[in-house]
Amino acid sequence: MSLSAFLIQGIVVLLLAPFSTGCARLFKARLQGRSGASPFLPYVRFATLLRKEMVIANTTSWVFHVTPIVVVSTSVFAATSLPLLSDAGAPGGLDNFIVFSAILALGSVFLVLGGLDPGTAFGGMGSSREMTLASLVEPAMITTFAAFAVVSGHSDISGMLNVGGAALLQYPSLIISLVALGLCTLAENARYPVDNPATHLELTMVHEAMILEYSGASLALLEYASSLRLTVFSLLIANIVVPLPLFSAALSLPSVSVTIAAAIVKLVVAMLLLAILESSIPKMRFYRMQEYLSVTYFIALAGLVFSLIPLS
Amino acid sequence: MNTMLANLGLHDTDHSITGAIHARVESARFATTITTLVQTHGLPLSLLYATDERAVNGSYGLHAVLAHNDEWLFVSTSLPEQDPRYDSVTRTVLAAHWYERYAMDMFGIVAEGHPDPRRLVLHENFPEGTHPLRKDFAWNSRLPHAHVPYPMHHVNGEGVYEIPVGPIHAGIIEPGHFRFNVAGERIITLEGKLFFTHKGCEKLLEGKDLPSALPFIERVSGDAAASHALAFCQAAEAIADCTVTSRARDLRTILCELERMTMHIFDIGNTIGNGIGYTVLAAHGFRLKEDMMRLSQLICGNRFWRGMIVPGGCARDLQEHDLDTIRSTIGHVYADTCHLFDMAMSSDAVRERLETTGILRTDAALAYGAVGPAARASGIDRDVRRDHPYASYPNCPLRVSMQTDGDVLARLLVRREELSGSLAIIRHLLKTLSHGPVSTPCTPNTGVGVSAVESWRGELIDVLHMKDGVIDRCVIRDPSFCNWPLFGEIGPGNIVPDFPLCNKSLNLSYSGTDL
Repeated sequence: MSLSAFLIQGIVVLLLAPFSTGCARLFKARLQGRSGASPFLPYVRFATLLRKEMVIANTTSWVFHVTPIVVVSTSVFAATSLPLLSDAGAPGGLDNFIVFSAILALGSVFLVLGGLDPGTAFGGMGSSREMTLASLVEPAMITTFAAFAVVSGHSDISGMLNVGGAALLQYPSLIISLVALGLCTLAENARYPVDNPATHLELTMVHEAMILEYSGASLALLEYASSLRLTVFSLLIANIVVPLPLFSAALSLPSVSVTIAAAIVKLVVAMLLLAILESSIPKMRFYRMQEYLSVTYFIALAGLVFSLIPLS
Repeated sequence: MNTMLANLGLHDTDHSITGAIHARVESARFATTITTLVQTHGLPLSLLYATDERAVNGSYGLHAVLAHNDEWLFVSTSLPEQDPRYDSVTRTVLAAHWYERYAMDMFGIVAEGHPDPRRLVLHENFPEGTHPLRKDFAWNSRLPHAHVPYPMHHVNGEGVYEIPVGPIHAGIIEPGHFRFNVAGERIITLEGKLFFTHKGCEKLLEGKDLPSALPFIERVSGDAAASHALAFCQAAEAIADCTVTSRARDLRTILCELERMTMHIFDIGNTIGNGIGYTVLAAHGFRLKEDMMRLSQLICGNRFWRGMIVPGGCARDLQEHDLDTIRSTIGHVYADTCHLFDMAMSSDAVRERLETTGILRTDAALAYGAVGPAARASGIDRDVRRDHPYASYPNCPLRVSMQTDGDVLARLLVRREELSGSLAIIRHLLKTLSHGPVSTPCTPNTGVGVSAVESWRGELIDVLHMKDGVIDRCVIRDPSFCNWPLFGEIGPGNIVPDFPLCNKSLNLSYSGTDL
């Protein structure tokens, strides 16, 4: 990937992230019969939070302060290295799926530590739940990407796009893996039916419970990181289904602008689907999570096994 | 009734309480008498309260109110001023638990052998020996800040984790502190600490006449303003021996049923919508509740069904076009609510969250003296509208909604059925509405009156002691007071993320408890 392609993708995805969260909220409101706020409201919210004073418990250590930076860095890494706008591979194979999963896990680990560090009851509760979920999501995620790696013959995610789009019909087992990836995405991003991002009920929270002690700029970073993560996953899945149009290493103005327009459309469609899902089902009981995630894992495993069986 | 009392060596000593049988026992026999009445004769203990009669006869009065068929039975005793003690009733009748702790805090009357004699209403900051409902305690006293221990229960053990929640919550609700002891996600014990914003209503009501007392009564719990006003007015009317006109009775019944509809719709939307995150029901449930509140704005001039029910009848008559608006509003609100409820119930994922969550067993509900939909969902057949008929209920088609499972779903189904019941009652009354005046003079002078009302939350009792036209003591027993201790029973065994759901399925009032 040339440096300019790398920069353009990074900047555009970073700028689009709050918009995708805003879209999801707007669509949910509309589907529930409310008028909803502008999709650009999250930009205002981040700007407001950045200006606000931080209130930090005396019991915190450096871990608490480092967490927002680590978490946002992992999301930025994913936003720049993955083939979201450009199909040119990241330099040095940084979009390897194992690296990607490990980076996500790094973010989760710090989030958990950040939740535990102030020693409050809710943070600990959220962290304990996040660890339970993460230990079940990560294997499913790696298995899903493994199936794509086997079929495409590439371990970097940009290479996996070769078997995306119309080629998926050639490898039906990957459609199973795609379903597993969708289920993983919901769990990784703390969305329904695993977690409710809009709840005010402290006792039911997972992701929100961990960041309950953060305020001001730190909170802005953490919320931005989760927006970014949602955007990255949405674009990634969209690109596997429709790997066009993406600009290549050789940049031209028309290809870049068409790609950006297409990315916005992809995000809007993805957020609409998410809003429909979140408006039509309730949140699952916490003790049913292991069933949901076991099912996800076995779907991923089925995808991998079928990919390994020679079809001809 | 009389043979039962004779067997216990009791007799209806005086007729000082209008519409109730009043028996006196010596303090040594108080606990055993109540125990026999509750356990052998199956009379539910509806209320236990104290009075300060030192100025009259140098003693404190302690009164138990029990329901017997459609009559109220008062069992009273006197405790000497110097040493007000008696044997605790709670040792044998669990329903007396909070009443006795309340009397200990507010009057300094000691229930000897009470299994849990900690403070209830007064927190750490109240100095020892402060008893606010004693007559010699001035309502505007300024107290020094004290640090009296108010211990909570702890569970020790490997991996047991204690979660303090509140008193400030993430949602816009009243203050209440909950202490969970959990192993993993499973709740081992759950204890509440309420009474953070004591309003002092009972104290402030003393010495007031009826018109100036009514605004306090209507603000005891904002979501049950009409029911509270009705209970208070009926108690005053019993003392004044005034008969309310039949049109006023009809209108009062309509208002209380409209209040029930408003809150049952809110509860259905809130429990399913916010409790389990089925957000469509919250959005539309709250829209329909808003329609009901606007109906109140139109009829009562405020959004909380306030201001219409006054001693002697109603504040104003409803015109034909008001009745038409009621008719059309409840029609469409009911239809929409049913549609939403059916949609939710057709979802397996929704039912899966509601079934077996927060089970209240029948024996526990009986022991704690649970009231309202919470009791009826656990198979306890208790409804004041049928058991102690008041207003126009004797002439209405009334069916008591019952379920037996005792879980969150059962409580929701009871509410859903009661919604249909309220609609039928209102429609019936609108069709057969009496004509005539809506107000009669009501000037109670001296006496004691009791009145119970089935608010949407359950049995609500007011006992009013009046002396020379002003209130001497006004006991307001909101249904929440009986149902709050149920959490200790409902919570354990559930997982922490399901607690908000259990909480919403009961929807208790902090304000109504914290008078």
